[in-house]
Amino acid sequence: MKFVDEFRDPAAARGLVRSITRLAGDDVFKFMEVCGGHTHTIYRHGIEHILPPGIELVHGPGCPVCVIPMGRVDDAMWLAEQPGVIFTTFGDMMRVPGSRGSLLDAKARGADTRFVYSPLDALKIAVDNPDSHVVFFAVGFETTAPSTAVTLVRAKQLGLRNFSVFCNHVTIVPPIRAILESPDLRLSGFLGPGHVSTVVGTRPYRFVPEVYGKPLVVAGFEPLDILATVHMLLQQIRDGRCEVENQYGRVVREEGNVAALRLLAETMTLRPHFEWRGLGFISQSALKINDGYADFDAEVRFSMPGIRVADPKACQCGEVLKGVIKPWECKVFGTACTPETPIGTCMVSPEGACAAYYNFGRMHREAADMIGATASV
Amino acid sequence: MTMTQEPAALIGKDLSDDLAAASLALARKFHAGATLWVVSPQWEPHAHHVAVEFVHPVIMGKRALPSVALVDPDPVAQARVATRPGDVIIAVASAADPRVVDLMRRAPAWGAQTIWIGFGARPAAGSADHVLWVESDDPMVPATGRFVLMYHLLWELTHVCFEHPGLLTMADDGGRDCTDEVCVTCSDEGRLGEVVMAPESEVSPALVRTATGEEAVDVTLVGPVEPGDLLLVHAGAALTRLDDVTGAAS
Repeated sequence: MKFVDEFRDPAAARGLVRSITRLAGDDVFKFMEVCGGHTHTIYRHGIEHILPPGIELVHGPGCPVCVIPMGRVDDAMWLAEQPGVIFTTFGDMMRVPGSRGSLLDAKARGADTRFVYSPLDALKIAVDNPDSHVVFFAVGFETTAPSTAVTLVRAKQLGLRNFSVFCNHVTIVPPIRAILESPDLRLSGFLGPGHVSTVVGTRPYRFVPEVYGKPLVVAGFEPLDILATVHMLLQQIRDGRCEVENQYGRVVREEGNVAALRLLAETMTLRPHFEWRGLGFISQSALKINDGYADFDAEVRFSMPGIRVADPKACQCGEVLKGVIKPWECKVFGTACTPETPIGTCMVSPEGACAAYYNFGRMHREAADMIGATASV
Repeated sequence: MTMTQEPAALIGKDLSDDLAAASLALARKFHAGATLWVVSPQWEPHAHHVAVEFVHPVIMGKRALPSVALVDPDPVAQARVATRPGDVIIAVASAADPRVVDLMRRAPAWGAQTIWIGFGARPAAGSADHVLWVESDDPMVPATGRFVLMYHLLWELTHVCFEHPGLLTMADDGGRDCTDEVCVTCSDEGRLGEVVMAPESEVSPALVRTATGEEAVDVTLVGPVEPGDLLLVHAGAALTRLDDVTGAAS
């Protein structure tokens, strides 16, 4: 059991793997995780290789950077290149390719592009640079959106005139629904996102068992959490139950963070539709800034090109994000598309399914079996 | 010492694996400059014994390793002051000792790795980075020498690891010191933080201690905080707080 020895509390991990193997028997199960942190934990600790062969983990659209379409990246680059603009974003977004390169390329061409750890850091840059206009390129699921909401409120309190947000926050429930509607995918259940759920709670996922008949368990980020979640999903199936459960109870509450949800409602509203890379347009799946905060909305303050750009034809990020193919099955994986020269966004972020596969050198399960790398229990 | 069985019979296969993993992690931490802090509120002599074991170069040529017993009645307060990022805390205690439960859940916010030695009912999974547990309900276990055997082996195996320098610079076994790049947003990051200083006003941030040092964190979303509160931090804002020793969110 090569990998289990590397876990926190390997004795507990060994017990879970034994129990999972018993529960799974000879049946086949396909569980999807929709959180980049889970994808990272699964790859880093080789969890796929210690699970019984009948259990497949499918890596869904859990990376909010990976799902930003090229047109929005082009808009961001246009903003960054405007005179007098200091363009700020998380480091994640700097290497994401648009049709004219990335924000790092824009920086190399002379744009004042800076990465920040928090939107509040961008606000401080605005306070310190009253003669420039600071734009914050906001990305992320509901975990990150509250930080942007707090920043908008602070900007209003300070009466800043030189700060705005290019809002690209997305929400987790619509893509889960879109995946469940997808005819080419057959899932047994979901590992629910961890920290997104600290904000939204567990209630928004109830439609998954109630409408689509699939179990969902909100999971933490330790390897033990992932194993415990797979165990809980299998236990539900074997018990004939189908419900939302919370494995990450030490952090996630059923009702989420009410203060954060209230602040999100005050500062942002759902867009009628938003384009997701590889998944197309999904209704009510992203947030835009409310009219009450329009002074801080970059899309209102600037006349951005807003051109839609088709994804590169060679790139199969869409199929990867839906779990239809594994990263290595993409035609350009590891050849034309690498972390150094990404074509698709799944290769850009370390949590992107392709980059994670590439960086951790994980191989196809059958290939691992052939050389005896899969652990026995 | 009343121990009569052979060591191999007392340290089973799983515990052997756990001891090896803990020893390697400990060696890597010492190699990187860690200090070992030892607590044992229930059995203070064990804390002194572990500390002496590591700091005393009992075998010719073996290096003395920095190790200190913390025996203040409030081990959390003492460890909070003593610990720096990269240090290691060893507790010799039962899973039911609330002081040690609290210490173990706060240690990640201080950047410390944890090893928990005990017997009887195991602590909750993931309570410490390494759990070295005697599977026995005998209340005399702390006096039988089995703990002593355990930390003697931990000390010796740590020095065995020092004899293989190539092992010492590899990534930490638990991944907690993983240095590979991780996105703030994509990884759905949530870092444990302990409040050092409450905000001075409604719009100012709190000073929060995390594994990487102290930072200003907005606490608008979690309401009033006090020093010692544990928070989950994402992108400069606290998302939720962890309130009690069971780790339940509130």
